[in-house]
This record gives sequence, structure tokens and C-alpha cells, in this order.
Amino acid sequence: MSIFITPAMVGQVVISGLLAGALYSMVALGLALIFGVMRVINIAHGTILMLGAYTTFWWFHLLGINPYLSLLASMPLMFLLGLLLQRTLVTRVVDAPELSSLLLTFGISIALVNLAQLTFTSDLRSVEFLTGAFLVGPIALSKSRLISFGFAVTITLLAFWFLQKTKLGKAIRATSQNSEVAMICGINVPRIRLYAFGIASALAGAGGSLVAVIFAIQPEMGQVYTFKSFLVIVLGGAGNYPGALLGGMLLGLVEQLSSLFLTTQLSEAVAYVLLVLVLLLRPTGLLGGRAR
Amino acid sequence: MRKALLAALVIGSILLALYPMVATGYSIRFMLQLFMWVALAQSWNLISGLTGYVSFGHVAFFGTGAYTAAILVTTHAWHWAPASLTGGIAGVVLALIIGYPCLRLKGPYFAIAMLGLNEVMRVLVSYFEGLTGGGLGISLPILYASVQIYYAMALAAIAVTVTAYLIISSRFGLRLMTIREDEIAAEAMGVDTARYKLYAFLLSAFIPGVVGGLYARDQGYIEPLSVFPLLTTVTMIVMALFGGKGTVWGPVLGAVLLFSFQELVWARFLYLHQILFGAIIVFVVLIMPRGILGVIQQRYHLSRSL
Amino acid sequence: MHEGHLLELRQITKRFGGVTAVDRCSLELAPGKIYGLIGPNGSGKTTLFNCITGLEVREEGEIRFKGERIDGLRPHQVARRGIGRTFQIIRVFPELTALENLLVVTWESFDAAHHRARELLRFVTLDRLQNEYAGNLSYGQQKLLEFARVLMTDPELILLDEPAAGVNRTLLNDLLEAIRNLRAQGKTIFIVEHDMKVIMDLSERIFVLNYGKKIAEGPPGSIQSDERVIEAYFGG
Repeated sequence: MSIFITPAMVGQVVISGLLAGALYSMVALGLALIFGVMRVINIAHGTILMLGAYTTFWWFHLLGINPYLSLLASMPLMFLLGLLLQRTLVTRVVDAPELSSLLLTFGISIALVNLAQLTFTSDLRSVEFLTGAFLVGPIALSKSRLISFGFAVTITLLAFWFLQKTKLGKAIRATSQNSEVAMICGINVPRIRLYAFGIASALAGAGGSLVAVIFAIQPEMGQVYTFKSFLVIVLGGAGNYPGALLGGMLLGLVEQLSSLFLTTQLSEAVAYVLLVLVLLLRPTGLLGGRAR
Repeated sequence: MRKALLAALVIGSILLALYPMVATGYSIRFMLQLFMWVALAQSWNLISGLTGYVSFGHVAFFGTGAYTAAILVTTHAWHWAPASLTGGIAGVVLALIIGYPCLRLKGPYFAIAMLGLNEVMRVLVSYFEGLTGGGLGISLPILYASVQIYYAMALAAIAVTVTAYLIISSRFGLRLMTIREDEIAAEAMGVDTARYKLYAFLLSAFIPGVVGGLYARDQGYIEPLSVFPLLTTVTMIVMALFGGKGTVWGPVLGAVLLFSFQELVWARFLYLHQILFGAIIVFVVLIMPRGILGVIQQRYHLSRSL
Repeated sequence: MHEGHLLELRQITKRFGGVTAVDRCSLELAPGKIYGLIGPNGSGKTTLFNCITGLEVREEGEIRFKGERIDGLRPHQVARRGIGRTFQIIRVFPELTALENLLVVTWESFDAAHHRARELLRFVTLDRLQNEYAGNLSYGQQKLLEFARVLMTDPELILLDEPAAGVNRTLLNDLLEAIRNLRAQGKTIFIVEHDMKVIMDLSERIFVLNYGKKIAEGPPGSIQSDERVIEAYFGG
């Protein structure tokens, strides 16, 4: 715990917060899509992120090419996995009581994590590609985090462009607001749900790839990202996609800032405490969303 | 029919009471854990089976009770029995603190809040190292007490099942169910839903706390990951669902069937076991969300206190 | 404030975001009469009911029941003071039996409650279905059950939200008969209804809402010929 906090330290922390925040925003956007379009709480979201991370690992170790290019593999692969999961299992718990989707996605998560443990073993893996940092004045910007940040921002912006400008994107937003009305307007709601889950999984997969170059990879790494995505959604308001963006940034900032004042252990707890606090004080999210 | 059931219960109780005299150490521990799962599944049933509020972090009470009891036994030389009871009280206190604000949340948000609560407890326990040993956990002084714990767990399971019976066959239980059926209508018909939800929640937190304390004594060692795992919450939920939530004997049946199956069959093939468990979850959720007794009860118009 | 009014609403206003659902509504109900509340779709009728019963919290205004302020009370407290209501969309408790649906709402002893519940079920001709799960009943039967349930608490003021919706002619006549019976017993009824014939037949006094504002009130005859009412429904 520091006694003297210099502006440089604050600056460092803010930058780190934003770097992390972009990743959280991107991944949480996926979870927001699933909850918004289908009212499903997807506990397996982080597990898909983990699979994306492993995709990157194997890409780098078997092909030896730039791991950032593995996004071209992990995103489509996870998209397809998402389609498969939605088509076979998740579709049956859409609009069901929350217990059903919680349990089902938990079951999927366990199955996938165990599959990963069986095939990849629980050994820690890592992708050593970029090391070192750029120095901007007193602030050190880790290269890998910076580039991951860049990709995260790009992908998130693309996702938003997609949601705002394309026909499918608009259909997704319409379905999130009111699925019954959307159906009456001729939108093929089951198909929208399918694609939404696929896209969300692709976002999770991308998150995994971008995280793989920074942190260690192991089968259970996804859980913490699921929780943080929950928090982001709660912060930003359910069904509020721009809210997910802001929520992610906020989480990143708060996490990093709290590491200035608290031990690393407790700053882990910050995310969870924040989750419970926000739920109790402003369940509609900081930006307001549906109270439903 | 009623008389036959009563007779079966009495005979069963006598048999179970005499069991430790003839059984091996392994069998006693098997039964002891079985009682524990019955108690957990039934406790979850009290809040979630009846009111429909999904407590997706119920293991938080178990863990809180475990740590409370462990600390009392190691640092203050308490006997494990009063320590476990205090663990139960700790669970209720926790439920009181978070129950009042959390129960105002709607369905999915309550579930997520409970999930978050469990993680908060886990991290808090890890943090206060001086008190809890942090990530290294707490080791209790060595004591062979399997037989006593067997009886204690059995008592816990019986206590919570009797509680379930009393509630479900009373108007209090009916009112709890109206909260599940249609909370707005229940409120409009004069049911103080906030108060009833809280009562059910408090009741549901006691036994997991007690059982957590007993578990700590039995295992001799606890750490944050072992007493706050999401898997435990899910397991007790699946047991309650499988047997039939909202009924008296459903959680008992579900716990007996699934735990026996798990111990006798799956535990031999570790990873297969996990995948099979995942399959069971999918089965229960998609095919039989009412559970065995739930289906039977609906079909044949039987009483819920069956 | 006059004495003798059972229910009094003063300047009740309820907003949802940018929409004013109820706009400075005031009205009084004297005991022992049947009142109607009509208006085009979206005029705020159900919202007004929700404000009275506490399901919504009004932004401005006062609500007095038997002289006592009830705005701000929780719905169960309002119900216990003697105001009962049915819903636009039927809200029975599906996994409870018909009998249980009635038993849960009263606080008298279990035995007395059983007795009255069976009587009420006989009254709405559902007694042979008393052990059937409410979710298995037909639409009309559920409607009757909801009606019986609201009577179970023996309220002084009964709010009925579209009691005639989706109900066939014979059942409807039974319902209307029952409503008149209740009035004869001294109860006060306040009905939201779209079926004009029903409202005009039953009500002694009608309030008309449009865009949340009360635009007219009076006996059925005068309402029928009131220009503002006609315009609200057909004009524009």
C-alpha cells in the first residue's frame, strides 16, 4: 500500500484501467447480447473465452505465426460453437425461468472445462510473443496489452457499427427490446437468437485470444471473466449495449485504481463487492436499463 | 397409505440409528455425507422451491458456517457441536444482512446477486488471513468423531425435513408458494411478500451453516475453495430438482439417488463423472424440471407433503 | 373532504418516464354504489387502479379510503384495509388448487376459512373443481375463481378490471347478477370495462378518462350523450 501517490502513478493506473476495460467491454457485450436477446444468463460465456485462448495458444505453437492473427481462427470457430450450442441446447431455455438457463449453461460450462482438462491438461500455458513496454514519459505501456487494447477497441467498434447499421444488427436490437413485437414485425426471432449467440461467442473467443498473449492459460480461466461480464452488465444496465461499453471501462478503472489503495487480493474482491452493491442500490444499472 | 408411510419412517429411523454399530468406517462416512446433501438440498428447497427465488449462491451459508465453527474450535477451543450450531446462526445473520435488500431484486438479478455474494464471502475469507488462515485454510485438531457427526448430520437432515413438512402443509407454506406463482397477485391479495420471503430465506440459511460446521469438523481441514464452490450450490439444486422441488420428500429422494449414484458409480471415473453430471443437469433442466415427485404429485393429484 | 366518501382521489398523477399515464385525476366514491371507469385504450384506467391498490406509487396527489390516507402503502396493506381487486389478465395461482387459491388470502382460522371458501366456490359453481389445480381450469372458470378469491377477503371496495373480457353471455349474466348482489349487500364496486352495454347497465355513475385526464363523469345517460366522451372515442 503506497503512502505517496504521484500523478504518474495515477496516470499509469488510469491507462492500465482503460486497457483492461476495453477487453471487459468487448466480452461483456457478448454476454449482454445473450441476455438482451434471449433473457438467458450464460455461465458458459467465460468458458468459451477460454476455448478462444487455447485456440490462440495452439495456433501460435503449431503454426508459429503471429498470435494476433489467430483472431481469424478463434472468432469464426467460437461463432460456430455458439451456433451449435444455441441450436441444440440453449434454445430450449429461452424465456424460461432463470434457474433453467443458469443450470443449463453451468452444465455446458462444466462439460467444456472438463473436456479442456482432458485434452489440454491443466498445465499452465502461455503465449510469449510481445514483451516489454513503450515508455511514454513516466508511464509504461505494456506492448501486449496495448495491442490487445487496440484489437478490442476495433472489434467492439465493429460490433457497434454492426448493431447500428446493418439489417441483422437492427433486428437484434429490436428483438432485445421486445421479442413479441419483433416477431409481429416479421423478424425471424429464432434465427436472430441463433446469430446473437454466435456473435456473442465470437466476441468471447476474441477476448480469449487477446487475453492469451497477456496472461496464463488454463481450463478454469474463464470463470472470472464470466463474473466480470455479469458485473459490467449490471453496471451498464441489462439490455443496454452502450452501457456495457461504459460498464467495462468503469470496471477496468475501478479495479486498477483500487490496486493503488488495497492489496491485490482485496482488489480482486472489488469486482464482486461492486456487483452486489450495484444490484442493491441501482439494479437498473448506472445508466438505467430495464428494471425487469 | 399414510399409516404405511409413517411405519416405514419409524422403521427406517430405527435402522439408521442402529447402523453405525454394524457399519464400516467408509459406510458411516458415506451415510454422513448423504445426510449432509439431504440437509443442503432440503434447505435450498425452503427458499427456492417454495418462493421461486433462485438462491444461486446458497453454499455461501455453508462456507460461512464452516469457517465460523472452525475458528471457534481452533482458536477458542469450543466443542464442535455448539460451534456448528453457532455456524448455523452465522448463516442466519448473513442471510439477514443481505436478504432484506437482495430479496427486492427480480428473478435473474437475485440469482446473480447470490452468486456474487458467494464470491464476495470467498474472497473476504481469503483476505482476513489472521482470522481464517487465508488461502492456506484452517486445520482442526485431530479428532475421530465420525459416528457422532453421523448422528449430528442425521439430526440436521431430519430437522430441516420436518421443517419443510410443517411449512409445506401449512398456510404459511401456501403463502410462500403464491410468491412463486404470482408475486404481484399475492401482494394484492394481502400477503406481505417481503416479510414472507425473508422468513423463508432465514430459515433456509440455518441448516447449511450448521452442516458446514459439521463438515469442517469431519474433514479436519477447510479452505476457501473447498467450502465456497459453485459446484456445491449447483449440486444441491440439481438434487432438489431431480427429486422434485416444492415437495417435502423430493429433495430427500433426489439427494439419495444422485449421491448414491455418484459415490458408487461415477467417482471411479473422475472426468467421466463430471461430464455425466453435466448430462444429468441437462436432463433435469430440459426433460424433467418438475422432478420425479413433482411429476407424480401433479399426475395423481397427491399432497405436496408427500 | 366530505364525510361519508368511501374512496377519494385528489389530483392523482402518475408518470412513466416521459409519459403521463394519469393526469391530476380526482374522484369520489360513495359507499354502496356501482361505479364505472371507461376510456379509450391507454387512457390510464388500469394505472389508476394500480395507484389505488398500491401496485404503483403515484407521483402527486392523495388517496383516502374511509378518511385515511392510503397512498404510499404497500399493496398488501391496502388489501388488508378492505380493498380487493381483480386483474385485466387473470392472475390465479396455477399450481395451487382452487380451494387453496381462496384459503391463502384470509387470516381467519383455517377451519373458518375452509368453510367460507367452500361456500364461495359453491357460489361461483366451482365447488366440484375445488381440488383441481387452478392452472388446469378453463378461462371462464379461472375468471370465476379470481372473482371468488377477491370476495374471500370480504372487501368493502371491490375493483374489477375488465370482468367481462373474454366471457361468454351466460357466464356474463351470472357475473353481473353476482355484482348486483354484492351491491345489495352494501359493497362498493368500481369497474373498468370496455363492454359499453355492461357498463351502462350496471353503473350508477361513470367516470371517463382520456390520456390520463378525467374528462367527464355522471350517470350513464348523460355520459352516453356527452360530446367530449364521443369525441374521445371516435373523434380526432
